[in-house]
Amino acid sequence: MKARVEVPKLRPLKLPRHEVRTLPNGLTVHLVPRGPLPLVAVRLVIRGGSAFDPIGKLGVGDFAARLFRRGAAGMTADQISDTVDFVGASIGGFANEENVILSLSTPSKHLEPMFEVMGKVLLQPDFPEAEVELARRRTLAALTNDLDDPGSLADRALVRATWGSHPYAHETIGGKKDITAFTRDDLRQFHRERIGPQIAHLYIVGAFDMDDVMATVERTFGGWKGGPSSAPVVPIWDGLARPGEVLIVDKPEQTQVQMRIGAKGVKRGHDDHFPLVTMNTVLGGGFTSRLVTEIRVKRGLSYGAGSSFDMMSVAGTFTVSSFTRTESINTLLDVALGEVRRMREKGPSKTELATVQRYISGLYPGRLETNENVSGAIADVVHYGLSEEWISQYRERIAAVTVKQAAEAAQKHLFGGERAIVLVGNAEQLKAKVDKYGPVSVIKPSELE
Amino acid sequence: MRKPTPKKSTRKTTPTLPPALKAIADSVIEATLPNGLQVRLLPSDAVPTCSFYTFFRVGARNERPGITGISHLFEHMMFNGAKKYGPGQFDRVLESSGGTSNAYTSNDVTVYYEDFMSEALEKVIDLESDRMRSLQVTPKMLESERKVVMEERRLRVDNEIGGLMDEELSSLVWKAHPYRWPVIGWMKDIENIKREDCLEYFRTFYAPNNATLFVSGDFDPKQALALIKKYYSNIKAGPGVPPVLDAEPDQKGERRAEVRHPAQAPSLMIAWRGPQGTDPDTLVLDVLQYALSVGQSSRLTRSLVFEKELAVGVSVDWTWRFDPGAFTVVLELKPDGDPKKAEEALYAELAKVAQHGLEPRELEKAKNNLAAHLLRELATNNGRAHALGTYELMLGDWRQGLALPSRYESITGDQVRAAAARYLAPERRSVVTLVPLAEVAA
Repeated sequence: MKARVEVPKLRPLKLPRHEVRTLPNGLTVHLVPRGPLPLVAVRLVIRGGSAFDPIGKLGVGDFAARLFRRGAAGMTADQISDTVDFVGASIGGFANEENVILSLSTPSKHLEPMFEVMGKVLLQPDFPEAEVELARRRTLAALTNDLDDPGSLADRALVRATWGSHPYAHETIGGKKDITAFTRDDLRQFHRERIGPQIAHLYIVGAFDMDDVMATVERTFGGWKGGPSSAPVVPIWDGLARPGEVLIVDKPEQTQVQMRIGAKGVKRGHDDHFPLVTMNTVLGGGFTSRLVTEIRVKRGLSYGAGSSFDMMSVAGTFTVSSFTRTESINTLLDVALGEVRRMREKGPSKTELATVQRYISGLYPGRLETNENVSGAIADVVHYGLSEEWISQYRERIAAVTVKQAAEAAQKHLFGGERAIVLVGNAEQLKAKVDKYGPVSVIKPSELE
Repeated sequence: MRKPTPKKSTRKTTPTLPPALKAIADSVIEATLPNGLQVRLLPSDAVPTCSFYTFFRVGARNERPGITGISHLFEHMMFNGAKKYGPGQFDRVLESSGGTSNAYTSNDVTVYYEDFMSEALEKVIDLESDRMRSLQVTPKMLESERKVVMEERRLRVDNEIGGLMDEELSSLVWKAHPYRWPVIGWMKDIENIKREDCLEYFRTFYAPNNATLFVSGDFDPKQALALIKKYYSNIKAGPGVPPVLDAEPDQKGERRAEVRHPAQAPSLMIAWRGPQGTDPDTLVLDVLQYALSVGQSSRLTRSLVFEKELAVGVSVDWTWRFDPGAFTVVLELKPDGDPKKAEEALYAELAKVAQHGLEPRELEKAKNNLAAHLLRELATNNGRAHALGTYELMLGDWRQGLALPSRYESITGDQVRAAAARYLAPERRSVVTLVPLAEVAA
């Protein structure tokens, strides 16, 4: 029987209304009313993430954002926590590579008082000395404790092996030394200089009254001022930090090896996005992907295997992940590298492509079910400058990818020799097994703190 | 043959439900097939997808020494081929129909679900009924899956400190009850489970009269029920599930164990024996759990993490179970943390609750959070089917789940005090301490 690419009939997505307003101070407000549950998700996205942290103070934005709610406008941390927790809401701040994000999740009937708290936390954080020191001690301890988790060790090591010293690696290369050096002035400076209404978008999604909410937003965020007038730009990436190398993080007690293969990927919104996502789902996305079939189903080498593209504004990476018992590491690496090569050289088959097209399209609406999902999806479109149709036409664009396009995307974007391998496990046993994949270096977990 | 008739559930619904919950309750359609299969349909057209849940009343609790882990291994085998859809076909057909699936096994239940585009409903019913009717356990697939599960055990237990401690804790809390062994099973048992064990297990536990379906999402309920009848009706009812004997003796005093393992910091897992899921005290302990550990202003977080800095993280787990379960506190310490001090401070906090109960505001806060948690659970097709299914299995009726906020509302501070005094008593606890071994030099 001849396989043919069938474009599935898709039931329309019920997309909620999305209104955009701008406050006089430059803050862009996105209002997305939807029900039926009496809940609201609020997300404030400010272009001031860890990529823009100064050298010597890496991680300062995340550290400061987490401290916003530990004392603000004269309210103590306990008072803020108690006010928020009492109504079943949550408020939190953090930074990722590109953005500082402050989020609020609350039952609808408490939206107004929670906005008041969010406004205080954002506009007037006090950074009390005792809270700063407490956060420093906790962060340092958590960083050390993380070394016990082989999976997160592997991910940290991979960031070093791929991004190297590029700003996208700031989150993981700052570490203990920088955290120890943060002062209250650094935090105040971050708050004063790196965030402000002109580089911020506020997303409000859920069951609320538009006029009431706008009045509240104007009252609580209208007085926010200062900060940059335009969004900072992330520098371009020179490419993989340790191409061809093998990096082992030594954990002698491990009976299982965590494996990552990292390579160059693409930036978010790349022209090849849809062919690439479709092709990668065949390679290592779904549960019937080639990697799962070859590694888990046929050989029982591992419980899990997959590949993914991590895409950011100016660049991205591609990662293959799995794990296996120490004795099987060579088989695992050979199969994983072999599958990437096979996809790069020959692309996916028509049947494989048709399968994942239905798979991705069929499940896409599920990514727009909660208020948090919807605010995240819209924020991505805004942040990465994607087209309006990114969400509404996502399924159709996936369905329109041809075998030829997918094969070309594989050929163009999957790695040949330019890849870095990271292994977390018993270095003594691993070294001799893996030197055929490239020059091996061994580090201790503590070097990743 | 008696024919199942769909019935709307409004009749039995508590009239006091808030509007959002009432709307869900009113939409549920229930049926029982002649072979005993329970069906619950939850239509909603918010997004053009569905979730299809199959709950089996079987878990590690129904195992015996020698075949521990068979429930979980079997969960894996359910994806490895039946009569109509052979090896590898389940996921392939599902994914190519616009769907995905997963499953989990607990001490009490085994749960399968598919999320998929609405058009695939019949295909999903076909796939699920095929494996309930005629799962094939071939020696080759069993050997391959056994290796995968052993790798999963290495990931989650042998190379994961939390997993090691949890395993130690369960065998400390329970001496006779099957809750004492890990859901994933002992490594030697996983290696030795026979094909015959699997076949017997399937016949006994995977019968329609031991299963409940919960389907939520964008579908026509009449059509869905007709399809379920068409595909499931010819599956024969099973002989019934043998009862599990709870032979657990009373605990006569505190129990302690150590886990020595390379680690950066010590930590503690402490469990107290609690009531079974259907006991009214279970909900009182839910309130206590939230007051102790949910949010930065919760008692243990504020006291142990922020004020005394004896821990970097505190979590409390109170999982409802068919038989009496365990109220568990996990304290993650700093690298130079003192487990003895942390333990004493924890007990002092718990003693305060046992003596004075909660402040009225704390009590109300816990209730508000429990109510908000339920709403968030119900926000997706998958979440709705899973939550109502879990409530039905644990409490006997999904309505009990939707009525939870009003049941929590009636809990008094004195009930919480009494529950803390009764259940969190020193002689009911078991303590596992992680003693970090220095890392061996490379």
